[in-house]
Amino acid sequence: MSATDTGGRVSRFGSAVAEGWTRERLGLLGAVALVLVAFAPPFQVYLFTDFLVVALFALGFNLLYGYTGLLSFGHGLFYAGGAYGIAIVLRDLGPVIADVVGAGISPLVTFVLGGVVGLALVVALAVPVGWLSVRLEEIYFALITLAFGMLGYSLIIQDPAGLTNGTDGVIVLLGTVDLGGFSLRIGGRRIYYAISAVTVVAAVYGVWRVVNSPFGTVCKAIRESPDRAAALGIDVSHHRWMTFIVSAAVVGIAGVLRAGLASVASPGLTHWSTSAIAVIATVIGGATYFYGPIVGAFIFLYIRWAISRFPALEAYWELFFGALLIAVVLFFKQGAVGGLLLLRDRLFGDGDADDAGSGGGGARDDGGQATAATDDGAESGDDNARADRGDNS
Amino acid sequence: MTTVLKTEDLRKQFGQLTAVDDVSIEIDDDKITSIIGPNGAGKTTFYNLLTGVLEPTSGSIWLRSGEGDELADVTDAEPHEVAQAGLSRSYQITNIFEGLTVRENVRVARISHEGTRLDFRSRATGDESVEADVEELLELTGLTDIADTPCDTLSHGEKRTVEIALALAIEPNVFLMDEPTAGMNPTEVTEIVSLIRELDADLDATFVVTEHNMDVVTDISDRIVVLAEGSILADGAPEDVLTDERVTEAYLGSDSV
Repeated sequence: MSATDTGGRVSRFGSAVAEGWTRERLGLLGAVALVLVAFAPPFQVYLFTDFLVVALFALGFNLLYGYTGLLSFGHGLFYAGGAYGIAIVLRDLGPVIADVVGAGISPLVTFVLGGVVGLALVVALAVPVGWLSVRLEEIYFALITLAFGMLGYSLIIQDPAGLTNGTDGVIVLLGTVDLGGFSLRIGGRRIYYAISAVTVVAAVYGVWRVVNSPFGTVCKAIRESPDRAAALGIDVSHHRWMTFIVSAAVVGIAGVLRAGLASVASPGLTHWSTSAIAVIATVIGGATYFYGPIVGAFIFLYIRWAISRFPALEAYWELFFGALLIAVVLFFKQGAVGGLLLLRDRLFGDGDADDAGSGGGGARDDGGQATAATDDGAESGDDNARADRGDNS
Repeated sequence: MTTVLKTEDLRKQFGQLTAVDDVSIEIDDDKITSIIGPNGAGKTTFYNLLTGVLEPTSGSIWLRSGEGDELADVTDAEPHEVAQAGLSRSYQITNIFEGLTVRENVRVARISHEGTRLDFRSRATGDESVEADVEELLELTGLTDIADTPCDTLSHGEKRTVEIALALAIEPNVFLMDEPTAGMNPTEVTEIVSLIRELDADLDATFVVTEHNMDVVTDISDRIVVLAEGSILADGAPEDVLTDERVTEAYLGSDSV
C-alpha cells in the first residue's frame, strides 16, 4: 500500500517537473547559465567557449548526418576554411583596414570582415565539393568527403600559393579596440566568450529554424527514403547539395570562432581526426535529436578536461573515448539525449501519451511501451513497478 | 476518353536478357488497368522504366502532363521529373518515411507538390493551405485517427494506406500501384480494394495496378494487360482476357487449368 502511494507521488512529482520544463523556462535557464559562465575562472570560461564552438561544429555536421542521412568524414575542411579565412584577413588586410578606418576601431572591423570572408570562403568550397560528393551515398560519400578533407590538409601544408604558412599555420592576433577612453581586447577570454556565445546561440537558433522549415522536413524525408522522396518529385541530389552547403556554412562559422579562440589557424583543423570529433560528439549525444550534438560536445570536452587533470591518464584519453563510443553504440544507440529521455520516462512516465509523444525519436518507442503497460496491467501493480524503478535510479 | 500514358516499342535489355520486349501500350483515363503476368514477366522492370528509375534500351514513354490532352516525352526523365510531370507510384515493398508520423509523410509530399522544398525560413507546419490539403488527404484515405502516429509503429495495411496517401498527395494524372495487396490479410485486402475503388471514382488520377491476387484483379479491373516474357500476350476486357487459353497457360501453367 505504501509502495502504491510512493508510486503516486513519483507520478505527480514527475508531471509537475514536466510542466515546469517548458521551452521558455529552459531558454531562460540557459540564458542565465550563459551569463553566469562569464564570471567563472578564466580557464573555465575558455573551456566553455571551446565547448560552444565544438557544439556548433557538431550541430552543423549533424544537419547532414542526422537530418539528411549523409555521414561526412571531411567537415574539418570547412572548419579549417572558416579559420584560415579570418586568419588570413587579419594578417594580410589588418594593416590596410587600419589605414582606411583608423587604428582604434580597425580590430573590430577586421574581425567582422574576416568572419564574413571565412564564411564566404567556406560556401565557395562547399559548392563544388558538395556537388561532387552528393552524387555518392553511404560509405562512398564518407570516403569522398574524407578525401576532400585530406586534400585540403595537404594543400594547406604544401602551401603552393604562399598563404597558409605550412605546418605552422597562421597566427591570429585579434587586437584591441581603442576608442579614446574605451578599450576592448577582442581576444580577452571573457570578451571572446561573449562574442562566441552570442554567435553560437544565434547560429543554433538558425539551424533550429532550418530543421523545422519545409527544407528541413524534406531533409528528414530523404534520410528516411531517398527513393520515395524522388518518387514524390523531390530532386534528391539537389536537396542534398543544398543541405551540404548549409551544413558547411554552419561549420564555417564554428571555424571562424575556433581561429580566435586558439589564436591560430592550423592545418590540423582539416585533418580527418578533427572531422571525427564532430562524428564522435554527435554519436555520443544522439544524432536523432536536435540537441544531441550539443550534449555530445559537452560530454566530449568536459570528460577530456577531467581526464587531463590526471597526468597518468592523459596519454590514454583517446582510449577512454574509444571505450565510451563502443558503449554508446552498443547500449545507447540514441546517444546521451536518448538515454536521458529514456531515464525521464522511467522516472516520471505516468503513461501519458501526449508526454511520451513529445519526446520524439527513440524516446517515443519506450513511451509507447509504458502506455501499453499501464493499459494492460493492474493499476496498483504498475505503480509498484514504477516506484521501484524510481527508487533504484 | 483520353490517353494519359503511352509507350512506343519500349525495350529494356540486361545483357542478353530482354526484360521488356518492345512493349507498346496506351493507358486511358476512364479505366482501371491491371497489368498481370507470371513472376519474371517484366512487370516491375516495366514500372521502373515508366518511373525513370531505369533507362530504356530503346523506345519512348509519353505522359499526359497537366490539364491538356497533349503527351509529354518523359523517356529520359529522372524519377523526380517523372513524378513532377504527373506520374505517381506505390512500391511492391511498402516505401514510406518510416521515422516520420503519418501527417509528416503527407506534408512532405504536399511540400514537394507546392514547390516549397527550398524554403528554409518558414515553419513547415505554418502554411495553412498545405495543412488544409494534408487534412483533406488524411480524411480521404481514412488516416485522420492515426495522423500523429509514427509510421514505424503502424500495421502493414496502414502503411500501405499511407503510401497511397503519399502517392495521391502530388495530384498525379497516373497512379501506378505495384501489388497493392501484397502481404495483406483478407480483411485488409477487402479494405484496400474498396479504397482503390472509392479513390478512382473521386479523383482524376488514372489507376494502373499490377497484382498477383486474381480475385482483386477481376474485382477492380476494367481492362487487363497480360505480360509474359517481357511482351504483351493479351490485352482487353477481363472476361475476354481471363478466358483466353494462351493466358491461362502462360499465367497459371498448362497443368493448373
